[in-house]
Amino acid sequence: MAEPILQINNISLSFGGVKAIENISFNVADGEVCAVVGPNGAGKSSMLNVINGIYTAQEGNITFDGTTHAKMTTSVAAKAGIARTFQNIALFKGMNVVENIMTGRNMMTKTNWMAQGLNLPSAKREEAEHREAVEKIISFLQIEAIRKTQAASLPYGLQKRVELARALAAEPRMLLLDEPMAGMNLEEKQDMSCFILEANREYALTTVLIEHDIGVVMDISDHVVVLDYGKKIGDGTPDEVVNNQDVINAYLGVSHD
Amino acid sequence: MEFDWVYFIEVILGGLMSGVMYSLVAIGFVLVYKSSSIFNFSQGTMLLVASLTFVRMTEGGVNFWLAMVLAMGIMVIMGILTERWVIRPLANQDLLSLFMATVGLATFHEGMAQYVWDADVHGLQLSKFFDLDILRPDPIMIVDHVAWLDILLPRFDIFVSIVAGSMIIALAIFFQKSRTGVSLRAVSDNHMAALAVGIPLSRVWAIVWSVTGVIALISGLLWAERVSVSFTLIEAVMKALPVILIGGLTSIPGAIIGGLVIGVGEKVGEIYFADALGGQGIELWFAYFMALMFLVFRPQGMFGEKIIERV
Amino acid sequence: MWYREAGQFVTNYYQDRRIFPLRFDRWFVAIGLILLVALPTLYGSEYWLSAHMIPLCAVGLATLGLNLLTGYTGQLSLGTAGFMCIGAFGTFNLILRLPDWLINWPTAMLISGIFAGLVGIVFGLPAIRIRGFYLLVSTLCAQYFVWWFFNQYKYFLDYTPSGVVALPEKYYDYFGLSELMGWDMQSYNNRWFIAILFVIGLTYFAKNLIRSSTGRNFMAVRDMDIAASTIGISVPKTKLLAFFVSCYYCGIAGALYSFAYIGNVDLMIYEVDRSFTIMFMMIIGGLGSITGSFLGAIFVYEFPIAFTVLGDYVFAGAGGHAGGGFDSAAVENVSNMAYGIFIIALLIREPGGFGALWGNYKQKLRTWPFPH
Repeated sequence: MAEPILQINNISLSFGGVKAIENISFNVADGEVCAVVGPNGAGKSSMLNVINGIYTAQEGNITFDGTTHAKMTTSVAAKAGIARTFQNIALFKGMNVVENIMTGRNMMTKTNWMAQGLNLPSAKREEAEHREAVEKIISFLQIEAIRKTQAASLPYGLQKRVELARALAAEPRMLLLDEPMAGMNLEEKQDMSCFILEANREYALTTVLIEHDIGVVMDISDHVVVLDYGKKIGDGTPDEVVNNQDVINAYLGVSHD
Repeated sequence: MEFDWVYFIEVILGGLMSGVMYSLVAIGFVLVYKSSSIFNFSQGTMLLVASLTFVRMTEGGVNFWLAMVLAMGIMVIMGILTERWVIRPLANQDLLSLFMATVGLATFHEGMAQYVWDADVHGLQLSKFFDLDILRPDPIMIVDHVAWLDILLPRFDIFVSIVAGSMIIALAIFFQKSRTGVSLRAVSDNHMAALAVGIPLSRVWAIVWSVTGVIALISGLLWAERVSVSFTLIEAVMKALPVILIGGLTSIPGAIIGGLVIGVGEKVGEIYFADALGGQGIELWFAYFMALMFLVFRPQGMFGEKIIERV
Repeated sequence: MWYREAGQFVTNYYQDRRIFPLRFDRWFVAIGLILLVALPTLYGSEYWLSAHMIPLCAVGLATLGLNLLTGYTGQLSLGTAGFMCIGAFGTFNLILRLPDWLINWPTAMLISGIFAGLVGIVFGLPAIRIRGFYLLVSTLCAQYFVWWFFNQYKYFLDYTPSGVVALPEKYYDYFGLSELMGWDMQSYNNRWFIAILFVIGLTYFAKNLIRSSTGRNFMAVRDMDIAASTIGISVPKTKLLAFFVSCYYCGIAGALYSFAYIGNVDLMIYEVDRSFTIMFMMIIGGLGSITGSFLGAIFVYEFPIAFTVLGDYVFAGAGGHAGGGFDSAAVENVSNMAYGIFIIALLIREPGGFGALWGNYKQKLRTWPFPH
């Protein structure tokens, strides 16, 4: 079996006296879609924040793409190729859609500010190249019409899509999505699920997502990890997890398809 | 040469007392910030407007107490109008806009005060109004029965400390016990929740701005005794900025302690370190430097609320 | 109807990025710039140059500098005048102490801007830890410290007893040539020429920065710096770069103010109320707008002058200025009241200031006579 791309090793995280995550370990295989589920407050967002370095865990470490990191920071995570979206949309309100997505290309920008200020040919060329890459993502996510709209004035569903675009623009190795379909209706969810699956298949992009809709989870994920009160109570394929008694007791209540 | 301990203590005490003056101004800032997250840049100019109004009235022969009442009344009206015409229309904009509005307000105050009254320097001597022992200009010996400890302190500083102290206690009681005070604390915690339980936001803010205005009047008068009422009053008040920044923008105890720290630090720096740093005039930037060093280690100030962003 | 974009298509990304997408704009601006540089240099009257156009270059550039830091990167600063001061004193000292054949006025300005930028970085370091309003403490410290420094160490004023250096003619020379082909170097016409070239060049540079990844990094840090760091933007580096560039601009603006406008190097010019004035200009012009920076500067600078002229005109019958126009104190106070009311009204109506109003106006013009 191939080496998993992400290994969470005995992570524990506390805020003051509150234990948000207690000794959690799990693996994510390269190229799979892994859903992290659990009741509110179970520690899911915190887990994602630990993975990409926004929070620092008190215990444990993370192995990503072969390298073990004792302390993960946002810049290390970004350089390693981890991109993410946020629960409460973190778009840059002062810029339009294209500009927002272009920021995702930041790590691949080589020209320095001097060259850009002087509008040198190298700067212009790089800008056009990045724009081309961004346009591919724009057409992939079908948001051409809103290219020049200010991000702040977009409806919620489209904002989420733009955030996904920004994450994809970084050409990441792994995508962390925090409730990408929250607040969407059925049609929007279907669209979003399609995009996620397509990105996963097209770019062999490992995806870890937090999701509440069990239907979606069953449909698109290869692997499910269940958290409750900061502890892991389920880990396996969707079918295995749904039939796990602990999970049913804590979370699912009556199992349904 | 032996280190003059008595003098040192006097310097410290002197610093504490001038610090109290800073704290007074700072409390006005904190009140507004605490209840609305607005950084009230016009706090200093409010001092100017208040004290200029008062001084011109008394110079014109108005009785002290009457002038006091009238001046307070004017500040209250100003507070209500400010809430109505400046704060409320901008309520849905971001904090930077509101800050900029207070910058505009400050400019307006400056122009208005000097246009209506004039730009001359007006002295203020409280001792002219009251024949109180404590207001005499000569310094008082507060400790002179201990053998080697003869501490000399200006009377006025003691007076200021008493007034400031009483005001702070009054405010503390107000916030803890009175209904308006409790509403204020609710509003400062969470606007939406306060609205949800029926607290009239506009009214609370109008009260805040009025109270701030009255604080501006009292602190303005105390400052004026020191530096006279003129445009330069605002400069002296700019020093209050490092005070609130050290104390934390949301904390009244912080404003008090911050004021004391800056007051002492300034005096000590001026008397003991000025020569090392090349001469006089360093108190200009020393207060800010102290605040800067403090904030680098504790970016939210001593008692300020830590800015937590939830992603 | 001729001002429209119908029929103008972009066929590649280079074109999409143009500063002036409309053909009309490109022509207008190109011709306008040429006229702006040439006409006043050749024909400008001393009054208009010295009292209006040159000072506007200086304060406009300072406002642009401040806007880069506060409007685009979200870092509050009240130290603008302090950085301007460094630029002015730096230029003066470079010309004073370096041999004639090595240095001239424009070159000295370019270099002294770097001094200002470096000091900016020093006072920008706290921005890595300190956020929001608390950051004011750092730039205010810079403002007061710089002022005290130059007041304390008279060396930098060449020990001039009066404390003010009136710049002699040779400071404006190029490499010791006191008159280049009969062209007076110290004339306002020449000063305008240099000033406007600097303004045009630096504004172009700023515009390029803003529409490239550096500009986006600035705005990302302003809008949400945690998200910016997850994309891999180095927030500390971005903030420090913003401080450097902004203070560079302010340094040059300060040098222009002393050299091109006043003709003196004087510490009184660079006191804290100058910082406030520039901040007003930025607020009225609009945060995050390059055009707005200049519009705001023009408004704030010209208002008192316009007001005095109005006073003279209204009271012309009573004998003109001496006979009963508004006196200067009244002018200043009424100006202040007007600014205050204006800022508040503008913020209520259009938080983006003149810059946003201008943008809206142009948008309406593009679709005129249709409403949208």
